[in-house]
Amino acid sequence: MKRSQFVRMAAAGLAGLLLVTGCSGNSGGGDGAVTLKINFWGDFGLDELKGRYEAANPHVRISLNTGEYNAQHEDLQKKLIAGSGAPDIAAIDEGFIIQFRGQADQFVNLLDKGAGQYQQRYLPWKWQQSLSADGASQIGLGTDIGGLAMCYRSDLFAEAGLPTERDRVSALWPTWDAFIATGQTYTGKTGRKFIDAGTNIFNPVLGQQPVGFYDQGETLRMEGGPKVAFDVAAKAIGAGLSADLAAFSPEWNAGFVKGDFAVLACPAWMQGHIQNTAPDTSGKWDIAAIPGGGGNWGGSFLTIPKQGRNIDEAYKFLEWLVQPEQQIEIFKKVGNLPSQPALYDDPAIRDFTNPFFGNAPVGQIFSGTAENLTPQYLGRRNGPTRVAVENVLNRLASGDLKGKAADAWTEAVKEAQKAAQA
Amino acid sequence: MTTQPHGWRNRLLRFDLRYTPYLLIAPFFLLFAVFGIFPIVFNGVVALRHWRLDDPTLTGWAGWANFERLLADDAFWNALLNTFGIFLLSTVPQLTLALIVAGLLNRKLRAQTWFRVGVLLPYVTPLTASTLIFAVVFARDTGVANWVLSLLGTAEPIDWRAAKWSSWIAIATMVNWKWIGYNALLYLAAMQSIPRDVYEAAAVDGAGPWRQLWRITVPMIRPVVIFTVILSTIGGLQLFTEPMLFQQNAAAATGGANREWQTIALLIYQVGWKDLNLGYAAAMSWALFLIIVVVAVLNAVVTNRLGGGRR
Repeated sequence: MKRSQFVRMAAAGLAGLLLVTGCSGNSGGGDGAVTLKINFWGDFGLDELKGRYEAANPHVRISLNTGEYNAQHEDLQKKLIAGSGAPDIAAIDEGFIIQFRGQADQFVNLLDKGAGQYQQRYLPWKWQQSLSADGASQIGLGTDIGGLAMCYRSDLFAEAGLPTERDRVSALWPTWDAFIATGQTYTGKTGRKFIDAGTNIFNPVLGQQPVGFYDQGETLRMEGGPKVAFDVAAKAIGAGLSADLAAFSPEWNAGFVKGDFAVLACPAWMQGHIQNTAPDTSGKWDIAAIPGGGGNWGGSFLTIPKQGRNIDEAYKFLEWLVQPEQQIEIFKKVGNLPSQPALYDDPAIRDFTNPFFGNAPVGQIFSGTAENLTPQYLGRRNGPTRVAVENVLNRLASGDLKGKAADAWTEAVKEAQKAAQA
Repeated sequence: MTTQPHGWRNRLLRFDLRYTPYLLIAPFFLLFAVFGIFPIVFNGVVALRHWRLDDPTLTGWAGWANFERLLADDAFWNALLNTFGIFLLSTVPQLTLALIVAGLLNRKLRAQTWFRVGVLLPYVTPLTASTLIFAVVFARDTGVANWVLSLLGTAEPIDWRAAKWSSWIAIATMVNWKWIGYNALLYLAAMQSIPRDVYEAAAVDGAGPWRQLWRITVPMIRPVVIFTVILSTIGGLQLFTEPMLFQQNAAAATGGANREWQTIALLIYQVGWKDLNLGYAAAMSWALFLIIVVVAVLNAVVTNRLGGGRR
């Protein structure tokens, strides 16, 4: 509840004045220096690269602005509409890239800047994802992709009398049914929950399907991939395996520290999140194969909005960032797997093991799943549709649909259709 | 030489008397026009147009299409129900408790100033900070609220986010906590102007403190009561931050897995910035604006009657 309209308006007026006066001092240090503003979420592994680039290019300052995943995308969309305020470089996730490539005229066409020479390096589907529908405009260069694996707590597995060695763990669950059976063993022995949330089973299983929510014609296809993924998630919830922690909520993060769950579907970028969230669990995690084979979950692009003031410098930095040395360093630092397959054969990635994850050969694991994965078309309404179905799964776990899997599916179809039309 | 400065001063004085007040209040009205009137009018224009952020080609006049869609949208009616539910659960106890607190503060107390400043503390706390704390208090597994209830002997911990009634209570509690002290101070200020001898006369006639509060204090501070009712109405119907941050995945803005506590303001945000349908969101904003006007007027009339007013 807000009371004093006057105070709010005065504050808004004051803020406006500050903006006006602030702008003049913003465009550099006066000695020809440029400041490149980069907006992203989570950890793109840029903290150290920033220093190196600045040292090699003394006239450039790099300003890193990390924020919340959805908020950053919404902010970019607002700035595009407003016509000003967008950063020099904006990160966009695969879940949002379709929405933005529909507005290709708002972004610098990287093909004009000569980015075409890099096309051969990229996974073809990754290159396509950020290419405008007519193929004339490339709005972004791919950073990482989210080849799937399964992270697990080897210490908790040992307590439950399960194998802890990663190959034997992978052998426990060739299929999702076997995975759920393993979870029942774990929960039966320890009385603790096995997975963090039903939604974090739904998403990787959906990522393994050839067709997701939407086909290429933007038609909602609930009976295909979504049905398969929903059934697996509903079964896991029904078996009592889920701790019902909403992904990326504070309680979910606390769950990493407290060991509220023993496994977590792990796209490559999740490694960075676990390391940052629960540094004390170092050495307790390990990484096994995911049931059902390869699949993709997440992965981003770096774009240059046209309204930026330092387009040429931004492109120079972007070009530097996608070179192998930098891509490999980011992988080592935060686990984001490059979207350039040639790098997977590079010893620096192939032989890399992550001490945080019990020296798991993460280079081999993730590049292996990346090469096996089936790229999936993500429709324009993919994001809201996913939220709608996730909500139904949450209601199945706790709420008005509790224990009613059949009703839940009917409801999921209904909600997805609504989200498709919004 | 003598007349001219005199005439000049005269004119200046007249100007000062006549126009300076306007000059002095002008900044408010200018800012109000820019940040108050203009958005409302512009919103009305947008409400009559197609405007989708993810589809720039879809433009042009939509006529009443957005409003027609609104009438058939169960998400909107659900949000309206939630908004009024939370509004009633917050405003009524809030103003009642504020009156009682003010009544207590109006008596002779030790460390009076300490208590008076104390009730204002929740109001000074940043909304997001207090809401995040309350989200923890109402957590399912480790929350203080469930712990207290378990001391009182409830069998099972309540999943506060799983049902309408429990989530409404949780959110109304946040709102009440923040605004009771603020309203109490407004009431207290008004109460200070009531002459003491009225109470003394009432006490001689045998009226207890409770009766004095309802029969003397409330009628005598009626204008302030109406003022707080209108402000609470506006604020309560625009409720946004608390329901938004109560959700575990705040960015989803659905107000719970089944929209259990999605208020209209939250729905507008979802439609505008999640579904990227600005035209439809603008139509909802206008609908909310009209609802607030109607309810605020209604409330003022009712409060006026209850408080013993004759107009």
